[in-house]
Amino acid sequence: MSPATGARVLLVDDEPAIVRAVRANLGSRGFRVDVAVTGREALDRAESHPDLILLDLGLPDLDGLDLIRALRSRGRAPIIVLSARGAERDKVRALDLGADDYLTKPFGVEELLARIRVALRHTLRSGTDEPVFRARGLVVDIEHRCVIVDGTELHLTPTEYGLLTALVRHADHVVTDAMLLREVWGPEYGDGDHYLHVYVARLRKKLEQDPQNPRYIATEPGVGYRLLSEDAHPDPARVERALGT
Amino acid sequence: MLAEMGRLAPLRAYAVALVAVGLVTIVIGVIEARVQVANISMLYLMAVLASATRLGRGPAIAASLASFLAFNWFFVEPIHTLSVGDPQEWFALVVFLITAFVTSQLAADQRDRAREAADRARDATLMFEVARVLGEPDLATALAAVTDRLRHGLGVPGVIVELDGEGAPQRTIAGNVAPLEGAEIGSLAAWIPSARSAAGARARWIHVIDPRGASASQRDERVHAVPLLTGGRRIGTLAIVRASSGPRSADDRILTSVATQLASAIERARLRQRATEAEILRRADELKNALLGAVSHDLRTPLASIVASAGSLRQTDVRWTEAERESFLSDIEHEARRLSRIVSNLLDLSRMESGTLHPERSWYDLAALIDDVVGRLRPLTQGHRVDVRVPEDLPPISLDYVEIDQVLSNLLENAARHTRPGTAIVVSASIDGAQAVVEVADDGPGVPRSDLERVFEPFFRGPSGDAPRGTGLGLAVARGLVEAHGGRISVINRPEGGAVFRFTLPIEQPSRTRTAATT
Repeated sequence: MSPATGARVLLVDDEPAIVRAVRANLGSRGFRVDVAVTGREALDRAESHPDLILLDLGLPDLDGLDLIRALRSRGRAPIIVLSARGAERDKVRALDLGADDYLTKPFGVEELLARIRVALRHTLRSGTDEPVFRARGLVVDIEHRCVIVDGTELHLTPTEYGLLTALVRHADHVVTDAMLLREVWGPEYGDGDHYLHVYVARLRKKLEQDPQNPRYIATEPGVGYRLLSEDAHPDPARVERALGT
Repeated sequence: MLAEMGRLAPLRAYAVALVAVGLVTIVIGVIEARVQVANISMLYLMAVLASATRLGRGPAIAASLASFLAFNWFFVEPIHTLSVGDPQEWFALVVFLITAFVTSQLAADQRDRAREAADRARDATLMFEVARVLGEPDLATALAAVTDRLRHGLGVPGVIVELDGEGAPQRTIAGNVAPLEGAEIGSLAAWIPSARSAAGARARWIHVIDPRGASASQRDERVHAVPLLTGGRRIGTLAIVRASSGPRSADDRILTSVATQLASAIERARLRQRATEAEILRRADELKNALLGAVSHDLRTPLASIVASAGSLRQTDVRWTEAERESFLSDIEHEARRLSRIVSNLLDLSRMESGTLHPERSWYDLAALIDDVVGRLRPLTQGHRVDVRVPEDLPPISLDYVEIDQVLSNLLENAARHTRPGTAIVVSASIDGAQAVVEVADDGPGVPRSDLERVFEPFFRGPSGDAPRGTGLGLAVARGLVEAHGGRISVINRPEGGAVFRFTLPIEQPSRTRTAATT
């Protein structure tokens, strides 16, 4: 069975059909699912320290972003935000406030399970800052400041190297523009006019063999970037989303 | 200099006039001690003239009288009395006094005329400036410019324009209007005659009581306000805060004229805005009608197949094969996603039509964006050969990634939908002057000439033949997004066949306030 067996998931959503579908799917895969339909209820349930929180941003009683702040002050359980397309600004703010990932409604079951897997794996791994990152032919040796792709060493500028290590630190998690700016250029560059995306594009040019099918750095449109440590599952939902779903 | 002296407080002006007379007295005394000069009293006329030209009418009269008395006291026998021994001396003194009076009045008239001419010249310049800046299409910018010009033109510390309206009044302030800040201005308006009493009196001058003043008797004479009237209705207030108190009719005159101009400019701007709002409403209405038309068909079709498939699956008297079940389920998912796509396209469209679309721009590598989109849509374009042609040296472009991603996705989807499998789709980018150009060219049948403009209209559908039906919204959304970026979108047919959809994005210079992250 999956390593997540027995993990407790707190689902915060007021849409009965979603609650039913998620509960059935997660329950049949060995998760224990707890449900809250309001923000206040969510805060109550969070007291019992779930392993993961699925949070709909559009709750009737509390502002979703306030709720994230409150949940973060109660514990470190990863939070995956569920929100509608077009609400990119909310997603970014949610992530900057401490949410770990997001899913765009409507989402498929495969996508949901993949996100939960990553979020739980990260909690298991967090705290162990490994000096060498390895994933599918990519080796980032933090100690020796050395980057190798398929056995060939790459020559990266300090900025490109800084971007790559920032992404590696959050492997498989979405990293927002603001987080990258802060981590690579320093706390004073939280926003404003910047060339961040142009630098990421340059880094990808050096890293990726097929730029149309990036192996390592995925773009999360309007939100940020994600370093993929394992092969992305072919996901029909992504195509549908690209078309405006 | 003239203006400065004119602003001397009245008491000081009189004192200066008397000092001048005193100085002349000393000079005469010094001269008299050495030589006898006939009619030396004429020297006093200098003090009188100076007072008249520099200080005004009152001080000049004071100087005349003081000269008369001083000469009498110090130089006419018997000295140190105001009595006069010689009748001839009497006559000379009286003539002197009359001469001093007349001279002083002539000089003062001259001074007034000079001042008035200067004021009028200033007024003319100021009015011209005001008229010019009021031509600014944006009312807020125009008001800021007007208050600023007035402040400098009149040489006053502060100017304020307050516009009444629903809710809190809007203020445009130039300089320091401290006497009006803090507390409720009383709202300036409360101190101004109501519309009815103000009608007739074009502009009524009022003095506003310092709102911070504890007692009502503490009037602040430095504030002058004039109502802005259109058609006898007050729409706001123009006020200046002066450095010193006291009336100044020239300022009042120019303020009245400016108030008239301002009022009509504001009225024009409001009419313009109302016209724009009406236009937005009209377009929203058109969209709503088109939407209603579309809803009946475009939303019902997928709904019908969802309901049919779900109903079929629930049948208990039929045993579906695994393949049949799978086909019903995939129909449901497919059609539901289609519905979702239509709905979000509709949302995008309504945001565009209501003018609430504001691209969140950042600097991007256009080549990377094109690669991302082409890569992500590969499952959709599997049957086609997709060629990407982007030069190496494209400059960074300022754009909203999500929106331009959407534009390119819609164009690619459109090309894939309307061309036969196996044909080529070419996505290319280039620079043309001050804009980037992105093209999606296909090898399909092209767009009928009569539809070249209409393809970008919401719910427009060309002859689809056996092509799968789209939402009829993709190209309309693309146009809205491109135009929100300040670009243009168009389609042409290539002579050798196939359609080319192209859109432009302006290339801007990075702003100077960039952070180090751009270097």
